[in-house]
Amino acid sequence: MTTIAPRATTAAVPAGRRRRNLDQWAAWGFLLPVTVYLAVFYAYPLFRNIDLSLRNYTVRSFVQGDAPFTGLANYGTVLGDPTFLPALVHTAVFTGASIAFQYTVGLALAVFFRQRFRLSATLRAMFLVPWLLPLIVSASTWSWMLNSDSGIVNTALGLVGLGPVNWLTSPQWSLVSVLIANIWIGIPFNLVILYSGLQTIPDSLYEAAALDGASAWQRFWRITFPLLRPVSAITLLLGLIYTLKVFDVIWIMTRGGPTDSSTTFATWSYRLGFGTLLPSFGPAAAVGNLLVVTALVFGLVYIRFQRKLEAS
Amino acid sequence: MTLALLARRWRTGVALLLTAIMLFPVYWMLTVSFTPEQDMRKSPPDLFPVHGTLDGYRAALTEQLPYLGTSVVIALGTVVLTVALSAPAGYALAKLRPRGAGVLNFVLLAAQMVPGIIMAMGFYAIYLDLGLLQSIPGLIVADSTIAVPFGVLIFAALMSTIPDELLQAARTDGASRLRTFWSIVLPMSRNGVVTVSVFAFLWAWSDFVFASTLDNGGAHEPITLGIYHYIGNNNQQWNAIMATAVVASIPATLLLIVAQRYVAAGVTAGAVKD
Amino acid sequence: MKTSTPRRLAGVAVAVTAAVGLTACGSTGGGAGAASTDYTVWDPYPQFDGNAAWTKLVESCGDKAGVKVKRTAFDTTDLTNKVLLAAQQGNAPDVLVVDNPVVSTLADAGVLAATDDTKIETSGVDPNLLGAGQLGGKTYGTPIGANTLALFYNKAILQAAGVDPASVKDWASLTAALAKVAGAGKKGITFSAIGTEEGSFQFLPWFWGSGAQLNQLDSAQGVAALTLWSDWLKAGYAPNSVINNTQTTSWQDFAAGNVAFAENGTWQLGNAKKLGFEYGTITVPAQHGGAAPVPTGGEFVTVPTQKDTARYATDQKIVSCLTNPDNIYATDATLSYVAPAAAVQQKQAAADPALQVWVDAVHAAKGRTSDNLGTKYPKISEQMWTAVQATLSGSKSPAAALQAAQAAAGKG
Repeated sequence: MTTIAPRATTAAVPAGRRRRNLDQWAAWGFLLPVTVYLAVFYAYPLFRNIDLSLRNYTVRSFVQGDAPFTGLANYGTVLGDPTFLPALVHTAVFTGASIAFQYTVGLALAVFFRQRFRLSATLRAMFLVPWLLPLIVSASTWSWMLNSDSGIVNTALGLVGLGPVNWLTSPQWSLVSVLIANIWIGIPFNLVILYSGLQTIPDSLYEAAALDGASAWQRFWRITFPLLRPVSAITLLLGLIYTLKVFDVIWIMTRGGPTDSSTTFATWSYRLGFGTLLPSFGPAAAVGNLLVVTALVFGLVYIRFQRKLEAS
Repeated sequence: MTLALLARRWRTGVALLLTAIMLFPVYWMLTVSFTPEQDMRKSPPDLFPVHGTLDGYRAALTEQLPYLGTSVVIALGTVVLTVALSAPAGYALAKLRPRGAGVLNFVLLAAQMVPGIIMAMGFYAIYLDLGLLQSIPGLIVADSTIAVPFGVLIFAALMSTIPDELLQAARTDGASRLRTFWSIVLPMSRNGVVTVSVFAFLWAWSDFVFASTLDNGGAHEPITLGIYHYIGNNNQQWNAIMATAVVASIPATLLLIVAQRYVAAGVTAGAVKD
Repeated sequence: MKTSTPRRLAGVAVAVTAAVGLTACGSTGGGAGAASTDYTVWDPYPQFDGNAAWTKLVESCGDKAGVKVKRTAFDTTDLTNKVLLAAQQGNAPDVLVVDNPVVSTLADAGVLAATDDTKIETSGVDPNLLGAGQLGGKTYGTPIGANTLALFYNKAILQAAGVDPASVKDWASLTAALAKVAGAGKKGITFSAIGTEEGSFQFLPWFWGSGAQLNQLDSAQGVAALTLWSDWLKAGYAPNSVINNTQTTSWQDFAAGNVAFAENGTWQLGNAKKLGFEYGTITVPAQHGGAAPVPTGGEFVTVPTQKDTARYATDQKIVSCLTNPDNIYATDATLSYVAPAAAVQQKQAAADPALQVWVDAVHAAKGRTSDNLGTKYPKISEQMWTAVQATLSGSKSPAAALQAAQAAAGKG
């Protein structure tokens, strides 16, 4: 092989690099539609949200468009507000408990439905019905069921000898009530994705393990759970993001009350911006951005986790 | 009866019980849809609407069917758009290793964190300039923003389980990337397509924020807006609202049952020689 | 493949900047706007569909004014937000029917045009009703009708408990009546104490009936009013669900025959005829006797500011048509409102003598934003309903809750 003079600038590009460049172009070709889509449709609203949080908006200046730039003043107002700490705690509890229960129940149901029996496909589809209902309907139904005086839940409690609980009207129980409703609404999401993920695990693995004498629990813990890790990770992350944004259910059931006992960042943001007769858009956007930042932090954690999975 | 058959019957029984518990609130919704106005707050409540009324259903069936049709069109349109946009992107992220994939992943996650009402306000401004307010295509595009980032991530996660050897084999046989995607990856991602379709359909079906901001007063409104006809400024007709929800759920449930049958088991079993 | 974090952040920054640049280029400005022959009317009556009398009225008023009118209905709690968004983008409707406590806020934001500019006639309207639509000496619309609150009662329950409705004259006699009803096994009274404007609306007769004023929430009288409600809840005279009740669900409680008294409004008169029992009405009593001042409900017909002021002439024709005596008589019959002008009120009372009680109540009513409260009212109202919720749910004592409310309301 002749050596090529190092000074030669017209040296041929090594074949490997050319191949990789073509690969890159091809990959971005597949990604182009989504990238354009993201740029056009998400950039403007996100920019508007940041802009709203950096200015001092009154109703008048929102309409006329002449709000003064005030830097991080809105964030200061939000952090100093007495509602901030309760909202933070409630958001953490609401989100943590929601995804814990939704994931566990969804996984249990997915594993259960993986077995073949009569009606399994139909019943699995029926589990999605909660998702079909408009939120005003499901949240209202739960409100009616949990009504202190005429709700079926308190009637049932009475039949078993327990006293009535003020589910929606007492500060102690309001968060639990919206939590129950939210878990109910979120189980189908987890069920569908985890079930889909379970389908990618070949039956042959289970057969081999059964032949080796593994019990059902061992099969789950040694085969199902580890192989389900990438799908579980994305399910938990998406569950987290969507639960952080939940406000319809809480708003319709308790409006974040009484006395902020079921207020999360999402409901607080909505209340500041759209839930009063006198909107304060700046603080509302500031709370919304705090939510986005929280979610982004978990997003970074997820990407780290994904990298580790790929490396192994 | 063999042990296997007994086990199967028992499983069906347990499944029925679990479904019944899960769907009890839906049963309650059904009950309310038959309850006349004066019994709405009966204490203790009737488990079964003894003095039922069909007023709610009469209202729903005579007034809400056009909205139902519009909802179906919008939801199906959203499904097509979402899958078309997100499947290729998911494939690229899962298998093609582009530079800057990390950034895109990040942006996709961030895109889902923007609250719906903020997105709707942004869309309002854009659509007003483009003249797309109160139009069905506009609403389809807006509803797809709920599902596309999710779709990309799900496709990426599920497509990453497709064995590389399969795709390598196709490349050495001379297939282009596009061909590989169309003929091998997509058919093997049936689960992914069905999953993303189901979610896109359900999100578009139950969307209220975009419909209310971008299509209120339009010639064709979806069912989520139609329901608000029963929420007057001073009075709400709850049996009609629940009846509408029931009537609206039936076609969607049927579609879901059909879709679930397509989620095949063991897609990769036997595809690659050991 | 290692991508360092700084490079990744830079990538994100570039992407965002590019996107912002793109959007800045194609940015807003008064949008395309409606065609100049298409006039839009927005109202908070989604219960009226294409075939309802109101819709036909709106369209016929448009025809009389020589233009095509497109009517859009919104959920009343959402209408303000939609109007603000539309006004910001230059897409405000030509005629806007909106709930009266919001009128001052919209006027202050420059969204509504004053009657000086739009030349709408308001001379025939009762002054106490017009007050809600006035700000800084200018008027911004005209009422479509008014409603207010009173106490409905279930004749059978009161008879069984041995209570004579005529004996309920002040708070003491009302509480005594509730005690008798509770003794006979039924709930005494239901109302709406929800954490929205509805809750404030329902609390105001008691608040004003004690002599308190809205600019001083934590006066002794205000505390007395809140203590009245809180004592009722503690004694079990009012059900716990009032904390979450809207006026509709409170009415459903009454209609189910569970409660003796219900605080509700004139708009329920249509539903009252469908009750399965005999009912009566009395005015809400003040603390020491007499009728308590009650707040006015009902919507205003307003004209949002338009860039093209030539449109005001047509808008004025549409508004006059909507609010002329015959049309207002028909509309108010459908909505179960009391008419805003004396002549039409007489016609209503002549057609249905039972309405005279309500007409008198409306005469004695006050606007929530009057007393020069205007745009301060929303903030005060929010603090008031928060205080009511805190007290009724047991978190704070009435005095503490109202003190906190006054401090927060004074800050704004």
